Amino acid sequence: MNHDASMSTKWLWILGWLGMMAMMACGPKAQFLLLPNSDGTVGKIVVQNSGGTRVVDQAYHETHVDDPTLAPSEPRRMSPSEIQETFGDVLRISVRPPEHFILYFREGTAELTTESKDLVPRILQTIRERRSNDISVVGHADTKGSAEVNFRISKQRAEMVAGMLQAAGVDPTSLDVTSHGERNLLIPTADDVSEPRNRRVEVTVR
Amino acid sequence: MKTLFRLILLPFLCVGWMASSGMAEPETIGVVQTVSGQSSLIRGERPIAVHSGLKLQENDILETGADGALGIVLRDDTLLSIGPDSRFVLDRFAFSPAEEKLGFAARLSRGTVMVVSGQIAKMAPESVQIETPRALLGIRGTRFAAKVNE
Repeated sequence: MNHDASMSTKWLWILGWLGMMAMMACGPKAQFLLLPNSDGTVGKIVVQNSGGTRVVDQAYHETHVDDPTLAPSEPRRMSPSEIQETFGDVLRISVRPPEHFILYFREGTAELTTESKDLVPRILQTIRERRSNDISVVGHADTKGSAEVNFRISKQRAEMVAGMLQAAGVDPTSLDVTSHGERNLLIPTADDVSEPRNRRVEVTVR
Repeated sequence: MKTLFRLILLPFLCVGWMASSGMAEPETIGVVQTVSGQSSLIRGERPIAVHSGLKLQENDILETGADGALGIVLRDDTLLSIGPDSRFVLDRFAFSPAEEKLGFAARLSRGTVMVVSGQIAKMAPESVQIETPRALLGIRGTRFAAKVNE
């Protein structure tokens, strides 16, 4: 009896050791690393479980969780080599941010301003160069006039731009055309205000 | 009696579901930009091979193999990198600022991901959430990486 008990204790120890080794080999169960933004600023992540909440707000600091009933660990700075080891693969994947263009219109019309007409070839070049098949074209209006009329104008503007892109060879299935009327102002104004910067179509090339 | 009632109801429910799912084309929430190694998209029942230019929808599940890597751009400018041996679920995504519908919820079940948060995180930070089996992650306009070993 006594012998059996000591045997099973021994096995428990061995199992415990094996478990520890396995944990050390693959690191914590869940790990979160805050990175600086491309402009150098640093945001914030909030990691939460039933054990508590942890905020990480310093670049290259991590918090991790092994036991979900315990709060995430105290934030700690990771060394560059440690970051490479844990996150190297995912950090090497490059994703290009989308490109945004804004085209402006003459008051109450779906007619591009002269400067905006000159921007169109650059949009087309970007679409071709990125071989994009996901392009958003969103029409907007200022608050001058009624909401219904502005919705109609913003729709005409978006359709005009989409038509131009299609005429230049862009596949229509790559275009997502929507219109926001006067509900999504670039420059906030009161109602019934003529604001050239709100009379626009936003084109996003992904 | 109850069972009978259910049996009668069932065909109607099915028709209702078919009609509603056939009505609107599922909305595109993002696009795959870079692919390397093995990866698959699980949409409904059948896995599809991932290729660059593949348009993504809500509830899509992305899985990468031991050599797999994916680069994704979502409609609100969020950038996602999914590393090898990963499973990432795009549960919910709403980006309609004009209707004030904003939100992004995803799940990292295993593997690694890097996220550069987009406009939803800027406009409605509280509505962006990434779930992992052991913790929930909130984002306040930022770039971060996460790893899950299960």
